[in-house]
Amino acid sequence: MKKRNKLERVETRWFYFFIAPWLIGFFVFSLGPMLASAYYSLTDWNMFNEANFIGFANYIKLFTRDSRFLKSLGNTFFYAFLTVPLSMILSLFLTYLLTRDVHGMKFFRTIYYLPVLVPLTAVAFVFFWIFNTQIGIVNRSLGIFGIEPLSWLYDEHLIKWVIVFMGLWQVGSSLLLTLAAVQGVPKELYESASIDGAGSVRQFLHITIPLVSPVLFFNLITSIINSLQVFTQSYVLTDGVYKPNNAALMMSNYLYQKSFQDFEMGYACALGWIIFIIVIFFSLIVFRSSSLFVFYEGEVRKHEKKHKTH
Amino acid sequence: MFKKSLVSIILSALLVFSLVGCAERNTGGENTSDPKQSAATDTKGQDGPVETVELTMACWGSELDVKAYEERAALLNKKYPELRLKVMSLPNDGYDAKIQTMLASGDAPDIIQVAESSNSYASKGLFVDVGQLAEQAGLDLNERFGGATEAYRWQGKLYAMPDRSGAMVLYYNRDMFDAANVAYPTKDWTWDDFLDAAQKLTLTDDNGVVTQYGFAAGGWWPWWMSFMYQNGGRILDENMEHVVVNSPENIEAINFYTDLVHKYHVAPSADDYSRFGLKDGQPDPLFAQGNCAMNLTGYWNIGSLNSVEGLNWDIAPLWKNKQGATFSFGSGLAIPTVCKNVDAAFKAIDFLTSMEGQTPIVTNNQDAPADLELLQSDLFLKPAWAEDRNVNLSAFADSADILESPPLHPKWNEIQRVFDENFSVLFQNGGDSAETMAKIEAELKDVIGG
Repeated sequence: MKKRNKLERVETRWFYFFIAPWLIGFFVFSLGPMLASAYYSLTDWNMFNEANFIGFANYIKLFTRDSRFLKSLGNTFFYAFLTVPLSMILSLFLTYLLTRDVHGMKFFRTIYYLPVLVPLTAVAFVFFWIFNTQIGIVNRSLGIFGIEPLSWLYDEHLIKWVIVFMGLWQVGSSLLLTLAAVQGVPKELYESASIDGAGSVRQFLHITIPLVSPVLFFNLITSIINSLQVFTQSYVLTDGVYKPNNAALMMSNYLYQKSFQDFEMGYACALGWIIFIIVIFFSLIVFRSSSLFVFYEGEVRKHEKKHKTH
Repeated sequence: MFKKSLVSIILSALLVFSLVGCAERNTGGENTSDPKQSAATDTKGQDGPVETVELTMACWGSELDVKAYEERAALLNKKYPELRLKVMSLPNDGYDAKIQTMLASGDAPDIIQVAESSNSYASKGLFVDVGQLAEQAGLDLNERFGGATEAYRWQGKLYAMPDRSGAMVLYYNRDMFDAANVAYPTKDWTWDDFLDAAQKLTLTDDNGVVTQYGFAAGGWWPWWMSFMYQNGGRILDENMEHVVVNSPENIEAINFYTDLVHKYHVAPSADDYSRFGLKDGQPDPLFAQGNCAMNLTGYWNIGSLNSVEGLNWDIAPLWKNKQGATFSFGSGLAIPTVCKNVDAAFKAIDFLTSMEGQTPIVTNNQDAPADLELLQSDLFLKPAWAEDRNVNLSAFADSADILESPPLHPKWNEIQRVFDENFSVLFQNGGDSAETMAKIEAELKDVIGG
């Protein structure tokens, strides 16, 4: 018993040792600015002159008199609510395809991961051609069915979908994790299932998905966080002007405008905290409800133990 | 024992950071032990001690820009051996954010290249009043720069010296004009002449698809705003205190501007641009492709057009309606209030904006210089590259009397954004602009509080 305690203590030390770089980084570089930004969000600071304390005026203005913020909020939610589920479904579907026993599978896996390695600025160039009104491949394909050319990049309703599509373009990073997890699922389970007569789709739904659900959960959390903070897609696609009529303006883009273009640092800090609270709120909901759909092997063991003692 | 090692790791990390901090501060200070500099002071030592002053100048731009700035820095050093100017070249993207951060930290370059955001800094007390320094030095700003100083004036004081200043001029394709039998544009052209020419210069194929546009523009402010000013309109009043955008003059001007696309079909819409593989509002490449006959842009376009084989182009000052009006694109040189040696910095920008100090701008074919004397000199008007071309470079000097300064209010970024938001819809759909103008007026009042 005593020995074990000592072992645990050693482990704890090593834990702190390995986490130290992050801890130091957090306390030295992040915590200070975070606290400072909380204070500045209550002031009218413009980076250069004295900061005057103005209470919650910034927050009140954000929600009552700032139509641009509300618009960016709506745009971000539109993006996040579409991108998160769609990218989850897409990465699962691609995982299903990419775990088939087909010749040259490594090639296909590489193909699907490639877009992640291409910088978004370059992707924007490609998208500009794909969605070109007159000569783009999308409108040309639609033209086959007799659909008139759509103004994908200059119509305030359509550009939102282009940005979502650009977000889905990046599905490779979550695909990589799912793929790795799927390959870790024991082969015996599939073998016994196929003896019971389960087809490949059924095996995927009832064996693969439950067993990789912790990874799916991780993907869900990170993609919620990333999509609520989306910045680059809309910035590169519209050259930083978010035309038309701010249809492409996301919360992070607006924060950048307010801070580094308009010098309204106090206001931008308030905006940053709002984004933070929104992200935390959705992450918490997902965390709290995770027991409903995430399956850990550890849980089975606990469950079995309980069962035996009863 | 473990705790100790953790503490020592943290301490050593902090030590490293603080050392780096010290090292940086040392090089920035005036008592630096730079061997080059002490050598310079030593040699001067014989004819009395001359203190060498190291200055830093922040600028943006391409390799060509940096080359021109460095040549000018060398000229400065030749003229005043005690002044050493180091060119600090920053990337275009994020230039303003970088300058802001440096100014906020109090450790800024001694000279800063500024453009449209100058007043935004000046209004916060970050720049030195160079107008006063010029007066003390007996420099006649009006003689040297003409109206180019207006862009850097805020509440009566001048916060930057104009450095580069090329007016927006009309680029036109001579071959297209000849083929359509239209006389070349002049400064006396009115909107009617322009529209008439644009209609003749617009060609369509058998299916009614336009193959050559008479004119091309888009949502960038100098394009539509020049039409407003030519019609006697303004955005803000003289003192930039009140919004005056919702005027009959402006509504008429913007209607004319959108009609070019939606009624007369002599200019491309956002979607029309895409037929030529271009983004919305890219008339420069459209002109270079040989797909439009006229476009409005700055001096920089000369360099790109020169590299296009077989394109027969020329430039002219802009047309007028009730009056002539164009804007200048350029940059000025400002001195931040945190500068430790304002006198030396002013001496440097005084030289850099003189005819001698601006010569490399011209010899490198970089831009139009702000110095009027140089702008009218043969060096600028008859450059080597234009020998067999016959380009009317006096269009820049001829634009001097119609040069307007846009309302560079400290909130200029936000003002532009309000226009962008509203005009992006109007320009896409066309139609009467009265409603849009009323909306813009209300939103701008909210921005500038007037």
